[in-house]
Amino acid sequence: MNHFPIHGPFVAFLGLLCLVPPGAVAISWLLAPRTQGAEKRTTYESGIEPVGEAWIQFSVRYYMYALVFVIFDVETMFLYPWAVVFDRVGALALLEVCLFLFILLIGLVYAWRKGALEWL
Amino acid sequence: MTIETVLFSLFSSIALISGLMVIRAKNPIHSVLFLILVFCNVSGLLVLLGVEFFAMIFLVVYVGAIAVLFLFVVMMLNIQIAEMQENVLRYLPVGGMVGLIFLLEIFLVIENDLIPVFQLTDSTAHSALNFEMFVNKIQSIPNIEAIGQILYTHSFYFFILASLILLVAMIGAIVLTMHKTTLVKRQEVFKQNAIDFAKTIHKIRSAQE
Repeated sequence: MNHFPIHGPFVAFLGLLCLVPPGAVAISWLLAPRTQGAEKRTTYESGIEPVGEAWIQFSVRYYMYALVFVIFDVETMFLYPWAVVFDRVGALALLEVCLFLFILLIGLVYAWRKGALEWL
Repeated sequence: MTIETVLFSLFSSIALISGLMVIRAKNPIHSVLFLILVFCNVSGLLVLLGVEFFAMIFLVVYVGAIAVLFLFVVMMLNIQIAEMQENVLRYLPVGGMVGLIFLLEIFLVIENDLIPVFQLTDSTAHSALNFEMFVNKIQSIPNIEAIGQILYTHSFYFFILASLILLVAMIGAIVLTMHKTTLVKRQEVFKQNAIDFAKTIHKIRSAQE
């Protein structure tokens, strides 16, 4: 298998990546003061007394934000290869990408005009 | 045993176990978190296959966005933990049969000489997944470059079509979830800014008289 992509920088990056989350937990474990008590075990809800259960039904509006986020996420994934081969694919590709962005911009304008970017 | 084999065993076994935990977890939130673990391990497997760009797409789109979408869906469903304690063995006959059929299908496609009954002597069917290491035969460029050189030149219709599909999905999401409620007091910035102190006092006084 000579096409195996793991080489120097990738391994270094992966190693660093594996160190960061345990490191963050370990540092807070070492440095943070630890106290016990009944007060500590209660639910924190903005400093006021918690009301009801933690599991409540959320508004469906959050779903729209998540879905719109997915769409723009996919849009950026379409643009990554363009950035890599920008100097080779030429001006036509620039036009295509502009058309691509324009079509998605229609969606954004639609969301804006419908008031979907405002809360409720 | 090379490092690739070790990594492959690690990623695939964690992916399989957490895939099992997705359907076995009592709490749906835990299910979604195990699903994220499956996605992470599958992206590791994709790196091992040599398709780094797709591995990154998996991390960015599936872990970053779609898993969050699933979490939102779980939060919107209003499930109580007590309701989820139902008997899972009820679905075992149907689910087990579907799983068995699916397993047989996979064996039929990939390793049909392992099943004695369904042995296909047809050589064309057998060569459907005849592994050929094409990567070694061609001059290798990073697959993000390969995608870029094809996507924006040869098949740019699909690229534009993808944007239209995304547009439809976005408009659909907005149409489905837009319900203007009247219960919430909204800010009306221009109206509130236009209020003049002196005029307001005057209005109230004239209303009282």
